[in-house]
Amino acid sequence: MKTIFTCIILFFTANSFAQTTISGRTVDQKGKPIAGVNIYIEGSYDGATTNENGEFLFVTTLTGDQVLVASFLIYETTKTPIYVADFEAKIIILKENINTLDAVVISAGTMESGDKARVSVLKPLDIVTTAGSAGNIIAALQTLPGTQTVGEDGRLFVRGGEANETQTYVDGLRVAQPYGASTNNLPTRGRFSPFLFSGIAFSTGGYSAEYGEALSSVLLLNTEDEPDQNKADVSLMTVGLGLGNTQKWDKSSLSVNASYINLAPYQALIPQNVEWNSPFQSLSGETVYRYKFSTGLLKLYAAFDSSKFDISQENINAVAKTRVDLNNNNFYFNTSYKGNFGNDWQIVTGMSYGFSKNRITLDLDNVNNEENAAHLKLKLKKNFSNLFKLSFGADYFTTQFNESFTANLGTTNTNGYNSSIASAYTEADVFLSKKFAAKIGFRASHSDLLEEFSISPRISMGYKVSKNSQFSLAYGDFTQSPNAAYIKYSKYHEFESEKASHYILNYQYSVDGKTFRAEAYYKDYSNLVKYDSATAEYNSIYNNNGSAYAKGLDLFWRDGKTIKNLEYWISYSYIDTKRDYKNYPTPVTPSFVSDHSLSVVTKYFITDWRSQVGFTNSFSTGRPYNNPNETQFMNGKTKAYNNLSFNWAYLISQQKILYFSVSNVLGTQNVYGYDYANTADSNGVYKRKEITPTADRFFFVGFFWTISKDKKDNQLKNL
Amino acid sequence: MTKLITAFALFVITLLSAQGQEATPQKTGNQYEQGMGKAFGLWKEGKNTEASDLFERIAAVETTTWLPNYYVALVNTTSAFGTKDKEKINVLLLKAQNALDTEMAKDQNNAELYVMQAMINTAWIVYDPMTNGQKLSGPTMELYAKAEAIAPNNPRVIFSKAEFEIGSAAFWGKDIKPMCTQIDKAITLFSTFKPESPFSPSWGLDRALEAQKNCK
Repeated sequence: MKTIFTCIILFFTANSFAQTTISGRTVDQKGKPIAGVNIYIEGSYDGATTNENGEFLFVTTLTGDQVLVASFLIYETTKTPIYVADFEAKIIILKENINTLDAVVISAGTMESGDKARVSVLKPLDIVTTAGSAGNIIAALQTLPGTQTVGEDGRLFVRGGEANETQTYVDGLRVAQPYGASTNNLPTRGRFSPFLFSGIAFSTGGYSAEYGEALSSVLLLNTEDEPDQNKADVSLMTVGLGLGNTQKWDKSSLSVNASYINLAPYQALIPQNVEWNSPFQSLSGETVYRYKFSTGLLKLYAAFDSSKFDISQENINAVAKTRVDLNNNNFYFNTSYKGNFGNDWQIVTGMSYGFSKNRITLDLDNVNNEENAAHLKLKLKKNFSNLFKLSFGADYFTTQFNESFTANLGTTNTNGYNSSIASAYTEADVFLSKKFAAKIGFRASHSDLLEEFSISPRISMGYKVSKNSQFSLAYGDFTQSPNAAYIKYSKYHEFESEKASHYILNYQYSVDGKTFRAEAYYKDYSNLVKYDSATAEYNSIYNNNGSAYAKGLDLFWRDGKTIKNLEYWISYSYIDTKRDYKNYPTPVTPSFVSDHSLSVVTKYFITDWRSQVGFTNSFSTGRPYNNPNETQFMNGKTKAYNNLSFNWAYLISQQKILYFSVSNVLGTQNVYGYDYANTADSNGVYKRKEITPTADRFFFVGFFWTISKDKKDNQLKNL
Repeated sequence: MTKLITAFALFVITLLSAQGQEATPQKTGNQYEQGMGKAFGLWKEGKNTEASDLFERIAAVETTTWLPNYYVALVNTTSAFGTKDKEKINVLLLKAQNALDTEMAKDQNNAELYVMQAMINTAWIVYDPMTNGQKLSGPTMELYAKAEAIAPNNPRVIFSKAEFEIGSAAFWGKDIKPMCTQIDKAITLFSTFKPESPFSPSWGLDRALEAQKNCK
């Protein structure tokens, strides 16, 4: 270091002007020296870099009053007015810059992936390269802690909550119908292909006041801001085919993809546990248009999906099988604008519209339903300083649902509801230091249909205890309208919103390539809908006196570092929950909950084979079921569930990929639960039937080809 | 797929170590020349932080030339390639990006700036190949395409692009001859390339010669 000073001095002595020495030390707020600070006199070259002791020394030919600048990326730049002749051995204190990479990030509840995530639990690629996920975003998320594997349903069940307690958002706008249509015990999948999304945040509780109408969880999907290049994608699969095209212009770009799925060949090859009269078929397409303004980005997203199947399922209450013939049409559109204006203001605004129409024939009965749902959103954010940010906004949700039921040769009954909910929220981000941050806000909401007004506070904070580890805490109140199955009877009954409170304690440790998360939570439900009949009917007696609790521990470990070319993660969830809702006589653990769940996901890249091989094993302990032959309610427990999936992606050439995947390699005979007969037989016994997967195995072979100018891109990220 | 990127990105690092700058501190001349000369001196001595700081100071004063900020970006990016500490790499690349952004905003028609951005991208790819490889290799090729459109005879453009392509071609067992031809072409161009000013970028010949050896 000394040599530098000598050097500098020598250099400047070459000049013949009068020179003054400037010297001192830079320290942080705790008095610790900071090395590598660029210290100079504003508007001149005269300056130096501080040494390990934070010391600097340089000479200048300038005189009189000047401004001394101290700049270092991870500290706030300071400007000190000085008098040149009198600045020796002075101390400059630098304040840490909160906007830097190592500041605390509140992590309670939320697991993120994508560019902005500093600690990625899931990477964008993972959605598709996780064995067993088969390109289904939801299936990949089910390998994360806090979720339940409910094989006969397919939707996301989070921390003891029902599937409809999770709300999905695309670019900040609600998706009213995030899942494909399905029927009893036939699993559905997420409607969105991972193709167009670049970032995902999955919150299992305690989320921001920006999101409402969700008791358990929010899933935030963000479309890509800018595609890489012009390209065309072709996929040939054993289950169908897909085409995609991306065009990019100076300021705008357009991506379109379409796919046709037909499960007939698969159903013919693999023994099925149900009888298919007509295989599952779907035609779907998505498109994103983006336009870049100088200070903002406009996105238009549209997705359409038309699917149908015809199935005969065994029914314990009838000799003949029950036939379900389903046709679903779905359309989703959203437009969003995100931009900056004025002095550190940011605006996010947009609207979404979802339309879903089901035509279902149940044996000889007909059910038709139609849902129109819209969301309008406006959010403003102002950065007052690096230490204080304020955001506020408003949402307007409107839903119109109509259902008609026509019994064979009988009359038609119609039910439905119109609901509109107006909400406003505000939230402040406060940094007390680089180590301690808090987010405080609340959400106020008014529902027309339920004629009620609610205020939900949300508080979360993070504290960094050391360089690599931090604690976060979150508390929040959440409300949600009861699900459509109940409020469609609104003209007969008055319902109230269901409520939940979350308390979360999170610990996170992350070093290069490794992440550990532990989260303990307590969830308190109140105001759940209860009814007095076997199934929810228009003439049942309803009340909002139900309640529930859920508490548990979620653990997550991810490591992509220890073993070369191997990336793996392990999720473990423990849950203790009891629910008193629906027509339950006593509070019990509901049938979709396993006390212990464990997922292990591995991905291994074999360079010589140009292959990525992956295994996913999901294990969960038995789930409760109700056995009417026993006096105690919900007393049964199924055997444990296990599923080992395997996938293999082989890169034939840079733009051609061959992909193979198979689920339940071990052929485990999984049982999700039991359907019991409504009435006892002549011996006084209620007979039962196992609820099993529609097939023991799923397999998939696909060929993916990308055509682009640079001949580099491929669809690996979409598998 | 992404592992191959590491392979060739690592290859880039080894080549990036030496800078061909021959400028020497001048005892005479104006302040700018003295300052730049001094900064190159520091860089040569391996005092990267000091060199970068001085370039930064010069950039703050000389807002009409893109060179000081260009060198802030170059010094920090090359140091990032030589650093193992991920946190440091983060800081270095952020510094490089900030400096480059300042100049990119002023002039979108400078091939050297595009090459610089491509180098920063390459450094990010090395930083986390699994994540950044997929994300950045497309855009990086696009940057080279833009640079080539602006300056088809700039040897650094030709060479850097060929070098970026060569690694992946090797992985796929593809013929690297077309890239080698480009490297040969770059070497010829280096011999006739005249930097606009004494401090304009002129680096690359040594690395191109090194890369040429691997072609044979």
